[in-house]
Amino acid sequence: MRGLRPGASALVIAMLLPLAGCGGDGGTLTPGPTPTPTPTSPAPTPTPTSFNVQPCLDQIVTPGNSVTALIIPDTVKLDLNLPPSFPNGRRLQDQVVDITLSYLLLDMRRHNLRTLADLPLNPGRNDATFLPDFPYLAPPLGKPPVASGSASSYDFRKDPDTAFISVDRMGMPAIATALIGTSAKIPYNDSNTGEDAAGRWTSEIKATLTGLHTILGDDLARLSLVSCATPA
Amino acid sequence: MRVTMSSFSTSLLAAGSLALTVPIAFLSGDSATVAADHLDPPTRTDPDLDTLPDFAADIADVYAWHTTSHVIIAVTFAGPQAGRAASYDRDVLYKVNISNAGARSDPEFVIRVRFGQNGTANGVQFENVPGAASAIVSGPVETNIASGGAMLRAGLFEDPFNFDLLGFRATRSTGTLQMRNDRDFFAGKDDTAIVIQMPRAALENGAHPLDIWATSARFGGNI
Repeated sequence: MRGLRPGASALVIAMLLPLAGCGGDGGTLTPGPTPTPTPTSPAPTPTPTSFNVQPCLDQIVTPGNSVTALIIPDTVKLDLNLPPSFPNGRRLQDQVVDITLSYLLLDMRRHNLRTLADLPLNPGRNDATFLPDFPYLAPPLGKPPVASGSASSYDFRKDPDTAFISVDRMGMPAIATALIGTSAKIPYNDSNTGEDAAGRWTSEIKATLTGLHTILGDDLARLSLVSCATPA
Repeated sequence: MRVTMSSFSTSLLAAGSLALTVPIAFLSGDSATVAADHLDPPTRTDPDLDTLPDFAADIADVYAWHTTSHVIIAVTFAGPQAGRAASYDRDVLYKVNISNAGARSDPEFVIRVRFGQNGTANGVQFENVPGAASAIVSGPVETNIASGGAMLRAGLFEDPFNFDLLGFRATRSTGTLQMRNDRDFFAGKDDTAIVIQMPRAALENGAHPLDIWATSARFGGNI
């Protein structure tokens, strides 16, 4: 799928949309000649309405890491003995959205981490060129005011950690944003990796992932993508 | 999650049999940004939901990778933005946590990052960087700061994340898939970021992997 040109996703979708409406125009039917019987395909298996996502959470995505081990606790995992490439670490150029969708939704025995990224589903590369050396990130694209001057000292706060109140936390991409529901976002961000590991958020993550598969199960089946979830 | 998919069944078909569906569900709840952490938690950081969003404390992404000699961690925050100055908020404490032994959720290293001012000059302070020459290293922003085997910097950078956020928003409002892989909401936008490069030897612990995460906290409580 590497040959899919930019923008092709929208074009192909536009081509497919009319097909979805075939047979539903409500026009008057005119009797025609009796059609020649044709072989009929077996009726498709109905898509289940409830899913068990435990197989998704159990599948192995990197050496020694199941999806569960990858996303709980909410940290970036980096094995220095393996090449860095998401989900082993996270490089600036890694297509984390498409790869995350793959391991959360697809059967990794039938597909791979790059099934969606190789299309790509989202823009496959950054709009600026990263630097080969430190600091690696690309210079800013806007024209904001430049921080002016340097000094020999600055008024850094010396207050203890307890004087600061939690606002945000971030580790593995997509966990806080996609697998934690709206009502749990504040307590999740005020929680910590120790509570992650103790299982405080496991049921929340599992329930949200189940919701994703319930929503998408029929789509995945229709599109010949094999879901990692099984009928409940 | 506040998600409906009743009319969201269009698909992306490419090169024959392989097709896929874009999960609108990844627009989790009220958050408009997917996979990265921009504007999350939304009721603290998203201006659409918070009249006083904590822009500076909004962590966008955590990146971590290694070379043969170093481990590099970059934390982006205060974005995405176009044409705005960097955010060097004295009242925000950033922590970059690294675990390389024992429980993976228990950090062996907690790097504290603070910003400060002197007149119009902005400075950054890094505390407890593995491989640095001293426990506290500080210097001006937008400058490479070398200390021992570490290299440090805080400044404004292009946002490395790329995603068709507009397509997701349009899809959510219309129920018709309008994702494009040639449209990047984050193109032309910037973040403030801290970049920490450490000697690999300062972190490596045999076969034990590293776990890395970042937190932000505001002095005196949320705004």
